[in-house]
Amino acid sequence: MKLPMAHPAGYEGPAAAVTELSLAQIGLSEVVELVRIDLPVEEVEPLLERGILPGCRICPVRFSPSGDPIVLVDGVLLALRKETAGCLCVRQAGAGEAA
Amino acid sequence: MAGPAAPHPSTSATPAAGAPAPDAAGPTAPDVTAAPTPPATPLVALVGPPNAGKSTLFNQLTGLRQKVANYPGVTVEKHVGRFRSPGHGEVEIVDLPGVNGFSARTLDEQVTREVLEGRAPGLRAPDALVLIVDSTRLEPQLMLVEPVLEVGVPTLLVLNMADELAARDGGVDDGALGEQLGVEVVRANARAGEGLERVRRFLEHVAERGPLPPRPCPVISNVTRAQKRLSLPVVDAFAARRRHIREVGRQADYRPPQPSRLTQRLDRVFLHRLLGPLVFLAVVVLVFQAIFTWAVPLMDGVEWLIATSGAQVAARLPDSWFRSLLVDGVWAGVGSVLVFLPQILILFLFLGILEDSGYMARAAVIADRAMYRVGLQGRAFLPLLSAYACAVPAILAARTVEDERDRLATIFVTPFMTCSARLPVYALLIAAFIPDTPVLGPFMGARAATMLGLYALGAAAAVGTAFLLKRSLLKGKGSTFLMELPPYRIPSPRSLALRLLDRSRVFLKRAGKIILGVTVALWFLAQFPAGPDGPPDIGDSALGRIGKVMEPAIAPLGFDWQIGIGLVSSLAAREVIVGTLGTIYGIQEADEGSMELQAALQGHMSTGAAVALLVFFVFALQCMSTVAVMRRETAGWKWPALQFGYMLFLAYSGAWIAYRIF
Repeated sequence: MKLPMAHPAGYEGPAAAVTELSLAQIGLSEVVELVRIDLPVEEVEPLLERGILPGCRICPVRFSPSGDPIVLVDGVLLALRKETAGCLCVRQAGAGEAA
Repeated sequence: MAGPAAPHPSTSATPAAGAPAPDAAGPTAPDVTAAPTPPATPLVALVGPPNAGKSTLFNQLTGLRQKVANYPGVTVEKHVGRFRSPGHGEVEIVDLPGVNGFSARTLDEQVTREVLEGRAPGLRAPDALVLIVDSTRLEPQLMLVEPVLEVGVPTLLVLNMADELAARDGGVDDGALGEQLGVEVVRANARAGEGLERVRRFLEHVAERGPLPPRPCPVISNVTRAQKRLSLPVVDAFAARRRHIREVGRQADYRPPQPSRLTQRLDRVFLHRLLGPLVFLAVVVLVFQAIFTWAVPLMDGVEWLIATSGAQVAARLPDSWFRSLLVDGVWAGVGSVLVFLPQILILFLFLGILEDSGYMARAAVIADRAMYRVGLQGRAFLPLLSAYACAVPAILAARTVEDERDRLATIFVTPFMTCSARLPVYALLIAAFIPDTPVLGPFMGARAATMLGLYALGAAAAVGTAFLLKRSLLKGKGSTFLMELPPYRIPSPRSLALRLLDRSRVFLKRAGKIILGVTVALWFLAQFPAGPDGPPDIGDSALGRIGKVMEPAIAPLGFDWQIGIGLVSSLAAREVIVGTLGTIYGIQEADEGSMELQAALQGHMSTGAAVALLVFFVFALQCMSTVAVMRRETAGWKWPALQFGYMLFLAYSGAWIAYRIF
């Protein structure tokens, strides 16, 4: 049961969705922009509080020994599970920068 | 909120153990006991995200003029201290738990909201706020500013670790930042005590101005009032605030710091595919070594001190029931708590260093995958490790587990970990019944193997129970695990020392009251009904009768009424059974190494019954301190009752099976 989250300002509609990837597919040191969080509402708030919100820049910097991504968001290192990363919909940064 | 008649929390906020505070009726209830109205002291709340240096600042401002109490009804500790400035008066400071937001999802967030909204029982609504953030992670942490300003009281924003920001080529114009946000801003380095003059001046102003008049409660949440009027969904509210903060940062010339070299280098090792888990194991072994090897001489020393001083007291008093109560009841009770103190102090010293240095977050990340498989999460690693010393501090440590279901599962399985109170019981029974024959050639004897087996049995029960719980009572959609990895820092000895002091106080208070109470109650049960010439034979005492009433129930496990008395007395603390059995069998100075006691046991029970008793001790929740702490931490009897019943069931059936096999 996944509730799509509201689109951020700067999201350009379905056409941009072609280039959408999940964060789990992004390699190290690649900077991406978060488009959408495909998680139930109650699981989203912790992410938002830590700065993982639509429009933010995310860069995986390392993988934990079990292969879970450790990402840099706003200068803060955050460890996620790969399952969570799979629910973060991202696109290449700079691809659709409106603002 | 609380009127001028409100008493000082620091003198009134120590509710009796187990009982809810009398003022739980509501903060608006007038306090009739404070007849000669003391002038109210203004309250300043310290707010901030975790690891931003909040407690360091609190300690700098209050020194040792602080105390810890629990918020009535809830379980989060309330740290209240006093700041005094000659000629300016004083303020009370409450150090709130670290939060990343105000969703009230975690206990910490709930408490923070309650205090900010002026709803916390026993605390007046804050008259001023100090928001402290880590300058090296400035932008995300500034997300707290808007909700905090909704409180509507004078607020000071402290940019902590400003030196680190500068050292890593970052910077911010604090004047412009203050103008943009509409608050007073100071740069500080709380650890070195730099920049604190302005914080003190702020507090002096608050002290001079005195408490604010009562006012309506604000409502604090992640969505600000203006956003609520527009009924913005939470995601949009966050996104809007984030854009605003980014703009504020731009106006204030904020340059984020370069990534810390040290952190990058250390993470390369600590989170390395192979080295990471190895370092993790080494740390676990080190902690074990510390609590089981290095703590032993200290524990022996404390034991000796208690015994000697008890004997000294006994020698100076005439032989009477009073002497017996004092020495055999109170002294023994206090002693059985104090003996764990060295171990708990050493444990917390190590955990404190691991936590303050930033390693603990990495350890949680490494442990997460394995914990996730059994239904727990990485943050549960710290409490479960602590539980090998004692379940009471471990259950308190589980507060860092953010998800409520995960936290409940963690504290539910914590008592299965082999705490050190079980060790004397294991040692006695193993020495008495298990022959020291080699099992793995010269590497391991049967006794060591039994000990290891008991540890493994406990851990397996914990894993199995967590697995079951997360598939039944605590079922829920997958929880998110999100761990912030703070930059590595050298722990400050001052903070460590203050925390050790704090922790040991909490432990002594929590465990002490219960163990002392149960020990004294047992003493009474053993003394009555008194015969014509002094206390009865143990078998005829109330305690002995309880044991005999229990006998039919425990006979299927191979236990007689004497063991029954031992089981009852071990409710105070598990190791008490050793001394009790000594008393029952009439052996002086019995401890786990006593040959006489071992011989007496061999005469009273079969090997099968001894194994059954060992298994019983692995599973059963014979620890009233744990039950009491569980009640506090879950705010009710449901979980501790369930836990006690479940563990008793496992213990009984496990012992029954063991008695049949051996």
